[in-house]
Formats: sequence, C-alpha cells, structure tokens
Amino acid sequence: MRLLLVEDDAMIGDAVRTGLRQEGFTVDWVRAAEAGDAALKAEAYALLLLDLGLPRKSGLDWLRELRRRGDRIPVLILTARDAVADRVAGLDSGADDYLVKPFDLDELSARARALLRRHAGRAEPLLRHGELTLDPATHEANYKGATINLSAREFALLAALLERPGAILSRAQLEQRLYGWGEEVESNAVEVHIHHLRRKLGAGFIRNVRGLGYTVSKPP
Amino acid sequence: MTASIRGRLLAWLLGALVVAGLAIGYSAYHRAQEDIDELLDYQLKQLAFSLSHQSVGSAPLPPGLLLPEPDFITQVWDKDGVRMFYSRPNLAIPMRPRPGFSNVEWNNQAWRVYTQLDGFRIIQVAHPLSLRKEMAADLTRRAVTPLAALLPLLALGIWIIVGHALRPLSSISSALRARTPSALEPLPRRDLPEELVPLVGSLNDLLQRLSHALEAQRQFVADAAHELRSPLTAVQLQLQLVKRAGSSEERAAALERLERGVQRSTRLAQQLLTLARQDPQQPEEADAVVDLDRVAREVVADFEPMAQRDNLTLSLDSQGPLRIRGNGDSLRVMLGNLVDNAIRYTDRGGVTVRVHRKGGAVILEVEDTGTGIPADERTRVFDRFYRVPGQKADDEGSGLGLAIVKRVADRHAGRITLDSGAGGSGLRVTVRLPDGNS
Repeated sequence: MRLLLVEDDAMIGDAVRTGLRQEGFTVDWVRAAEAGDAALKAEAYALLLLDLGLPRKSGLDWLRELRRRGDRIPVLILTARDAVADRVAGLDSGADDYLVKPFDLDELSARARALLRRHAGRAEPLLRHGELTLDPATHEANYKGATINLSAREFALLAALLERPGAILSRAQLEQRLYGWGEEVESNAVEVHIHHLRRKLGAGFIRNVRGLGYTVSKPP
Repeated sequence: MTASIRGRLLAWLLGALVVAGLAIGYSAYHRAQEDIDELLDYQLKQLAFSLSHQSVGSAPLPPGLLLPEPDFITQVWDKDGVRMFYSRPNLAIPMRPRPGFSNVEWNNQAWRVYTQLDGFRIIQVAHPLSLRKEMAADLTRRAVTPLAALLPLLALGIWIIVGHALRPLSSISSALRARTPSALEPLPRRDLPEELVPLVGSLNDLLQRLSHALEAQRQFVADAAHELRSPLTAVQLQLQLVKRAGSSEERAAALERLERGVQRSTRLAQQLLTLARQDPQQPEEADAVVDLDRVAREVVADFEPMAQRDNLTLSLDSQGPLRIRGNGDSLRVMLGNLVDNAIRYTDRGGVTVRVHRKGGAVILEVEDTGTGIPADERTRVFDRFYRVPGQKADDEGSGLGLAIVKRVADRHAGRITLDSGAGGSGLRVTVRLPDGNS
C-alpha cells in the first residue's frame, strides 16, 4: 500500500515514514501542500496522511480543494489541533479520520488499515483468498492451516495481488506499490519477491502472464 | 471615623452646623444684650424721671407704688444727702455723686445705677446687671433651641441624601464585585454622575489593557501548548521506533533520532522560559552599565564549538569596550539567539559579529553567508512560532529566537533591521541601541 504523508515537521515526518514502512506500507513524504498536490498527480496513492499546520497553504484548505475537484482518496488528518471544533472542521472538510498529536504509531497504522479496508468496501479485517488468510495488522499469513512467514515486501506484494483477484498487475505497477521515492529498487526485485512467495505458497498460486505481469486467480 | 464618604460628610456637615449654631447663638446673645441694655436703661431713666415729679416726704412710699419690677431699687436723698426714701431699706446702695449711668459693684453683685439730680433731690434707680444677663440668655436660648432640635433630623436627612447620591458608586462596586476574573468588558457609562465619569473611564481603560494582556497571555499559552506538541510527538514516535528496532544498527539510528527529539523539546522549553522572562509585563530589572564588547566576546566564545562542528568561521569585529545602559543577561540572550540562528541557517562560509558606535547609536550586527530570509518574510519572522517556509533547519528551531531578540531590543528601545549580507546573499541583522554613554 502506497501512502502519501504531508507533514512539515522533519522529525515527525521522518519517524512516521520509518514506522509505517516497518508496518509494510510504502510511504512518500512531502512537506507542503503544493508538493503533495504534485505527488498526487504523479502517483496513485491509497491513503493521504495530512498535517494541517503546513506552511503557506493550510492542510484544511488543500483538503477542501481536493474534495472540490472530486479526488476520493481517503484522508487521515494528523494534527496538534485537538479542539472539538477543529475535529469537526477537519471531518466536515472531507477528512475520513482525525488523529491528534502526539499519537501512537500502532494506532496510526491501525487507523490507516481501517481506512483502507473501508475504502475497499470490506468490513472484515482479514484478507481471505481460498485457503489463504492474510492479517494486515500482524502480517501473519495462514495457508492451508499452516502459518507462513512473509517479509514486509512479500506481504505487500501478495496483498496487492489479492485486492482484485484475476486482475493482472504489471511489474511497474507492483514496483510502484512497493517502493517509495528514494528507495533503491533492484531491477529484478519484483521477480525475487514473487519467487520467494511461490516457494512459500506453491508455484501455481501466482501466475505469470507473459509480457503483461502477474495475477492471482479468482478463488474457486 | 472610617474612611466612608457618607460618614465623613455627615460628620463635617453636622460639625459645621453646630459651629454655625454656636455662632448664631453668640451673636444673638450679644444683640439681645445690647437691646436689653438700651431698653432697661431707658426704663431706669423713665423711672427716675417719674419719681422726680412726685413729691416725696420723709415717709417711705407705699411699697409697690413706684416699683414696676421687684428687682428695682429706688433711693431718694435731699440735697444735703439726707436719705428721704429707700424702696428697699435693707438694700442701700451708696449714693453716686455724679448724675447719669454707672455700673457699681456692691454687696457682691453688679448693679446698673442711674442717678438724677433735680436741684433739691438726688434720685437714684438701680437694678442688678445679672437680670439683664438672664434675659439675654433666655432670648438666645429661644433662638437656638429649635436649631438644636432640628439637628438629628438634619443628620438623618444628610445620611439619606448622601447615601442616595453615592448609589452609582455602590452599584459600580457591586458590579465589579460580581465579576469573574475573566469578565473584563467595560463598565456601562450611561446615567453616571459627572463626578464618576473620569473614574469609570479610567477603570474601563485599565480593564481594556488587562483584557488585552490577558488575551495575549492566553494566546501565548495556547500557542506554546500547540508548539510543544510537535517535539513531543516526535519524541513519542522516535521512542516507539527505538522499541521496534530489530537490529543494533536500527536501534542506534533510532536512539540518535530520539536524542535529537529530546534536545529539540528541551530547547523549545528553554526558549519559552527565556521569552517569558523577557516579557514586557515583567517588572523591569534594574539597568546597569553593560560592556557590549565583553558580551559579544562571551557569546562568540560560547558558540565557537558549534561553528567549528559545522565548519564555519565565527569572527568578532569590535574596537574595544563599548558601554551602554541595559540588562546584560537580556543582551547576551539576544546576541546568542542571533548567532545561534546564523550558524543554524548557514552551510558554508561564516558568521561575523560586529559591535560599534555610530552617530549616537550603538550598532550590533550579526551577518552570515547562509540561506537568508526572503524580503517579504522579514516582518513576519519576529512573530512567535513563525518559521520561514522551506528553511532547512526549521525543525530544530523553536520559532522563538527572533521573537526573543525583538523583545530584548524593545526593552532597550532598540530597532532591528534585516537585510541581505554583503554580496546580496545571507542575512544581516542590525540592532540599533540608543547610546547610553552620549
């Protein structure tokens, strides 16, 4: 899952990015609304984490702008403004959730997961596909009754493929989901992860559509 | 007597009335005495005159015949001084040889005596002076008594009227008493007696100033609380990253970040305290003679390690002692903040501190070769917690440095200007302080 973090405080931005990466999210971080706008136009993000106290243009103004032009990206506001009126203003301006600083990393990632789930139209926190179950909160995978260990990237790749079973995702699309800006991507990184996943789940679970990309068959 | 206006007015007015009453009594007594003197003298004369027209033998006159008042004493002698008639044989006032009125002390009493000579007889009529005094006193008493009787009524009237007149005052004080400390809206000025308008006006001025000060304080606390959240959020997140760290390298990196977060919080707290200490509402600390050259030397020495760490040159340009009147600690804080900022926002080159005297002012200059401040941001940077957008070091900054600088400059009646450093890049901060030596 690729998230966009807009936060002008360097320490907070850095820590949130690091923490969310550990949770398996791909995080791009910008420090102003203008840069956020550019990023949203350039990449597809699953979630926007938005600080309100931004320089020049406030986060709330930018959010209203986004909603006005029809952007439906889920937005989680991260702010030091804790008055009820501020929360109401934030939610009424188009935010989906509101988290007051200082916050806990675990709570932030749980809320991010909940927002993503809701946005995908699911109420069930676990991702199920036939005999495979994925828990986004713990990164635990269960296949045919056995727990299997997945790395953060493997988990993210599998989750991306399971989002829309049957759809084919190209290598570039998968890379885009897995790697944020400034992260080194080895040319065969996706292939390596796919290889590891096939070893853990069996060779037939993920199919390679030559020239197009990868797909997971719809469950029977 | 307490300091109550009502009580004082009552006491003074009643006192004045009593004094006036006494004065009236005194003058009435004197007037009465004069009138009585005139009247009774006339009576004595009349009595003597009527006696002179009666033939009086040696035999006493029948008692009561010629005596309108029992207090009158009538005596008649023949021309040889032989007593012809005494109205009160037991009260024999000696014969006055000279005709006319005289006062005589006799028989332990003062007497008014009228003596008349009519050729062959000496007629002498007298009465005691105490009689006159009694009559005068009686008349005076009659004049003053109603006044004295009115006194309690007047006191009551004064008490009520003064109380009524002072009602606006008590309504103001009860309105003030009923207020909560935060209710600082002005008092109503309608229907105020003229005397209270300036008082209420001054009170309202004070209330307004208080309300501004309180609002500023409230805003400061709100700002400070808001600003404290950022470093605390950073620290909390960094702490969680430390806990989560899987490898020793990760842990070391996380700990280093945490340390920076803690340093930032500490610095913000320090700057908040410094700013609070420079609060213009704080009582002014006694000014002393401060040598700016020495202050600059100390500050430069303090920041030398920081400059060295960042590979910057930090230099001082000063021509020896430069004394002004001011607060040494505040000036040191001010210069320290300027040098600290300059080092933070400079990557390459250096920072120069200059202290010199120029045209009746003392100039304190800090110039760097750093990122500078865009011209349109130069007024806002003195606002509390304002940070220039996009500045690289803004997270370490508290957003208070220049606010503190401004406070100190203001307290020393100084002026600050910001412009670009030599060559159009970097930042030059100039603080002009009035020269206390000239």
